[in-house]
Amino acid sequence: MRHHIENKVYHVEILPPKQESEKLDADLATFAEKYARVMDSGYCACITDNAMGHLAFQGTEMIAELDLPVHPEQVMIHLNTFHTLASLREILDACKAKGIKYLLVISGDGSERLPKLEPSDIGATGVLSVTSVELLRYIGREYPGDFVLGVAFNPYEPADHEFEKMERKMAAGATFVITQPLIERNAQVDALLAKYPDVPVIVEAWMSKKLHLLSEAVGYTIPEDTAFDPIETLKLLHRTYPKCGVYLSLLGFKTQYPLISETWT
Amino acid sequence: MKIVVCIKQVPATNNAKIDPETKRIVREGLEAILNPFDTYAVEEAVQLREKLGGEVVVLSMGPEKAGLALRECISAGADRAVLLSDRAFGGSDTWATSYVLSKAIQKIGDVDLVICGKQAIDGDTAQVGPGIAAHLGWTQAAFVMKVVDASATGLRVQRMHEDGYDVCDVDYPAVVTVVKDINSPRIPSLRGRMAATKAEIPVWHPDDIGTDLALIGLNGSPTRVVKTQPPPARNTVTQVMFGSPQESAHALVRELRKRNLL
Repeated sequence: MRHHIENKVYHVEILPPKQESEKLDADLATFAEKYARVMDSGYCACITDNAMGHLAFQGTEMIAELDLPVHPEQVMIHLNTFHTLASLREILDACKAKGIKYLLVISGDGSERLPKLEPSDIGATGVLSVTSVELLRYIGREYPGDFVLGVAFNPYEPADHEFEKMERKMAAGATFVITQPLIERNAQVDALLAKYPDVPVIVEAWMSKKLHLLSEAVGYTIPEDTAFDPIETLKLLHRTYPKCGVYLSLLGFKTQYPLISETWT
Repeated sequence: MKIVVCIKQVPATNNAKIDPETKRIVREGLEAILNPFDTYAVEEAVQLREKLGGEVVVLSMGPEKAGLALRECISAGADRAVLLSDRAFGGSDTWATSYVLSKAIQKIGDVDLVICGKQAIDGDTAQVGPGIAAHLGWTQAAFVMKVVDASATGLRVQRMHEDGYDVCDVDYPAVVTVVKDINSPRIPSLRGRMAATKAEIPVWHPDDIGTDLALIGLNGSPTRVVKTQPPPARNTVTQVMFGSPQESAHALVRELRKRNLL
């Protein structure tokens, strides 16, 4: 993952179509188009797993059904704990078969319709529920050496709690970190970089102007009248965190995509 | 092995209105969904097919738009679907409905097992599954919470009771109704969704399945609904305990004790 940062490889989030899509064919075509564009740019396509608890199709099945090419350095699959053991295995087996090596392992948001892994499903003991820590351990144990595992860091959670969790995530096999969206320098991210100087950290840049969604993501209210220019914020993050990679969430492919290569100079 | 799953499209709301004259739910304007209990029936059928081979056919009686619920079942793994739709079916009570479904099951032919959700959330009668078994003269097991064993000749199941469960063996052909404890319905795959979009769903009418017109619709329905009304709204009160976790826990325990709940 370090070479992604050194080579200025953006991590570009792509959301698969939602299960409830009424224009599935068009949504599939859009997904394929975005994916191809990310591949052509040499960036890394990061495919979400039922983001925000919205039921969507899995990245692995999108790649299989649309017959999309996989370049191992250019695909990252998000994987959360809201699966049955069978579907988890299916996803991991598909990733392995396709040569996908980067996984972002997260607890996830879940929803009423999504099943949740039980500790007994993955041989976890001494816990009441499965978190990213147990999922990391499971993947490391069942698929040794097959994947490069990353985890999320939320700088808006109480620091003690978040750093204690991060220690457990690292002990469970995490080798890189992606933060929640940042819009400016963040003291907790600074602390993270100081504490784990050898761990590649990728800061998330929020590329949508929908501030109410950003408020949900960061966990505190950002007033709707806040002046927010995603491209300027992206430049600021590059200046502030020059040793970090950047994850672009909700990127506009029509207007923003042509601009991003010039922002990382 | 051929498995038929009977499903129903129901209003997606707990705020349904009742027509004062017909005493039936006013369905116009309400979003329609697949009856939640039926998703467990479909999943169980798909799991049995994965284990024993064969085919899963979903069957529904309803208006044309019920085809959407059938497509959802194909997304979730069913092989094909049949819709029973005709004005003559309208107004059927649970007895007439189960008669129509049983005739369709006979037309599908060579069916080993019929699975239904325990009940539909609009009528809450839990009568259609057992009604189908009665019309067909087949063995039935209602409120099944677990399939302990499945073979080419029958099932061993746990049936849920108010105070526990029992275990019984069911030889095919049989009808079972399932509760939500039985499985976790899978999230439809993209391949399933694409198959569902393309699936052709035949629509059968009374003549297609050889129904006796005197036994369907309002005329064939012995049930007379004398009066219906929505249940009274629940009078709930939300109380937030403030203070430290310890203080709020103590306050909660005090409150529960005061109400004789502890």
